[in-house]
Amino acid sequence: MLKIENVSKSFGNKKVVDNISINMNKPEVFGLLGTNGAGKTTTIRMLLGILKKDSGSITWNGKPVDRKKVNFGYLPEERGVYPKVKIIEQLKYFAELKGMNKEDAIRSINKWAKILKVEEYLNMPAEKLSKGNQQKIQFMTAVIHDPELIVLDEPFSGLDPVNTEILKKVIIDLVNKGKYIIMSAHEMHTIEEFCSNVVILNKGKTVLKGNLREIKDSYPANRILISVNKDINKIIKSLKLELENSVGNSYVIKIKDENDGYKLLDKVIYSNIKVNKFEIEKPTLNDIFIEKVGGKDE
Amino acid sequence: MNDMFVVAKFTMRDMLKRKSFIISTIIILFMIVLGCNIPNIIKSFKGESSKAKVLIVDKDNIFEDNLKELSNEENEIITNVLTIDEIKEKLLNNDIDEAVIVDKIDNNISFKYVVKNAMYLEGSPYIVDVLSNLYKEMQISKLNLSEKEILSINPVFNYEVEQAEEKANGNVFLMMILSMVLFYAVYFCAFQVSSSITTEKTSKIIETLVTSTSPTNIVLGKTIGIGLVGLFQLVLIILTALFSVTTFLDREMISSVLDMSSITLSLGLITLLYFILGYATYALLYALTGSTVSKPEDIQSANTPVAMITVVGFYISYFTMMNPSSNMNMIAGLIPISSPFCMPFRIMMGFADTNEVLLSIGILLITIFIIANITIKVYSNAILNYGSKMSLKDILKMYKQK
Repeated sequence: MLKIENVSKSFGNKKVVDNISINMNKPEVFGLLGTNGAGKTTTIRMLLGILKKDSGSITWNGKPVDRKKVNFGYLPEERGVYPKVKIIEQLKYFAELKGMNKEDAIRSINKWAKILKVEEYLNMPAEKLSKGNQQKIQFMTAVIHDPELIVLDEPFSGLDPVNTEILKKVIIDLVNKGKYIIMSAHEMHTIEEFCSNVVILNKGKTVLKGNLREIKDSYPANRILISVNKDINKIIKSLKLELENSVGNSYVIKIKDENDGYKLLDKVIYSNIKVNKFEIEKPTLNDIFIEKVGGKDE
Repeated sequence: MNDMFVVAKFTMRDMLKRKSFIISTIIILFMIVLGCNIPNIIKSFKGESSKAKVLIVDKDNIFEDNLKELSNEENEIITNVLTIDEIKEKLLNNDIDEAVIVDKIDNNISFKYVVKNAMYLEGSPYIVDVLSNLYKEMQISKLNLSEKEILSINPVFNYEVEQAEEKANGNVFLMMILSMVLFYAVYFCAFQVSSSITTEKTSKIIETLVTSTSPTNIVLGKTIGIGLVGLFQLVLIILTALFSVTTFLDREMISSVLDMSSITLSLGLITLLYFILGYATYALLYALTGSTVSKPEDIQSANTPVAMITVVGFYISYFTMMNPSSNMNMIAGLIPISSPFCMPFRIMMGFADTNEVLLSIGILLITIFIIANITIKVYSNAILNYGSKMSLKDILKMYKQK
């Protein structure tokens, strides 16, 4: 349905998005990853027509993405509300701009206010709300008109754990209702929770793209978790394995492949040490991200 | 089109609910009512003694007890024989407002006019002229002359003014006031457009807004919304002024400076038309400057060039109005920066013919179209410019961008 093909954008001599392609064929949450300045927001802005692309094409159901033709919702990275205007007034304003009549707008506002637990703030000016609540209001602006395509730029940044959970449930619910969601995020665990397909950008270029499960499966296991009833530091050293972390007799050990793990397990059992837990782990998205962009998870 | 009115409606509501708008409107209306009541307030403080007290010292009774006849609605004549020091003391104590000491040496009558402060005194005071005339009339009546003889000595001089240039129809004073009101209304109203646009960039709502409607709808919707609020304020001010002038001011005083019959429907319609055209021209220029900045502290400096153009436009129109039949005033009525303030004056004074009016409106409409085009283009390209204030070079670059 959504097709971004060979899209590029330069600011002056600097190429900020270089030949990016994304395909979304079914309702899902698509993850757009990258460090700061990787080109995520520029890609989103080109997708929504805020910025003009230099080359390539962006289509939704075969038609160019246009505000008038495609019903989309957008939560920008730059959070913004009218500080002096009552929440209900600004929500009605955006609903009307998106073509809703007054009655439908009020019905939708009340529904979303209940879901996001912001009913008590509807008649307050935005400046009196906390940042987290202002963010929820802006999320309402993005979904109030029941769009087919929803673009969320860093939706969880600045939210407390309670509100993060509320928003997570809402996003899962939207996918279940057949919505196409593109989400950029810094938090890798969030992306792992939601996204079936991802693209990782680095300095405007695609460094990794595809189904998240397949990507992870293509990587060899890189660590084991083992919980025993005795100290096994000597065994770890004798096998020349790198200890990543240990708490009491629970260890996280880095391995090159699964065989390293089995060798350790053999030796532990041979030494008559009782094993409470043994787990061979695939690399996390965070590991893959760091490997691909050569930096830290921000 | 629908979105444009949604933006206009939202902007209007936002403006009308602002405390600054409500308070400033109340203050302006209060000042108008208060200003028109100043003569009444002064009168109520002075009470019955609102007449000027004029003391005349005529120790030799030169005026033969005729002085009391000079008392009228404005002056109360008091006669008494006092020394100059006593008179000065009375003046300083505000017991009297002015005094005249009449003296006769040989056949010459002399008047000494005594006043608290003579700094602003120009020519002979009114009371001295009145006393001179009274004395003359007294002497003529003693000659027992016939009416014809009296008339030949003291004829009635008819006085008329005829001007070489074409005669104006309207009331210059009223039109000059109106021109000034138009300037302030356009200036302060158009300025709001710029701050409204910058505020949306400051509060970062702009990205949500431009994905909800087009830049054209945003710029024109805001301009219409703020314009309607400005028009509402202008109508409120004019109605309050008319009500206050007719209710609180003395009718004779009004008619001496203002010909109320010249306040007509056509004057109202012309004022309305030029307010709309002038406002649209300047509001769109302010929208352009507003879209080039993202911080509230930069608005003022970004707006300075437009503010200067507005002031220059007003002064071109104001100074050429002093000589309305000049070519300069005709040109001021056509230049789009001055015509909104100048043309209503020219039309109402009967100096502008139909062609000139149509040309002036045509030039303004073309100017509005060109400015709107540039503004919308720059606004669309400058939406995400969150940095420092843009230079003229940057603005040109934004305009040329596709």
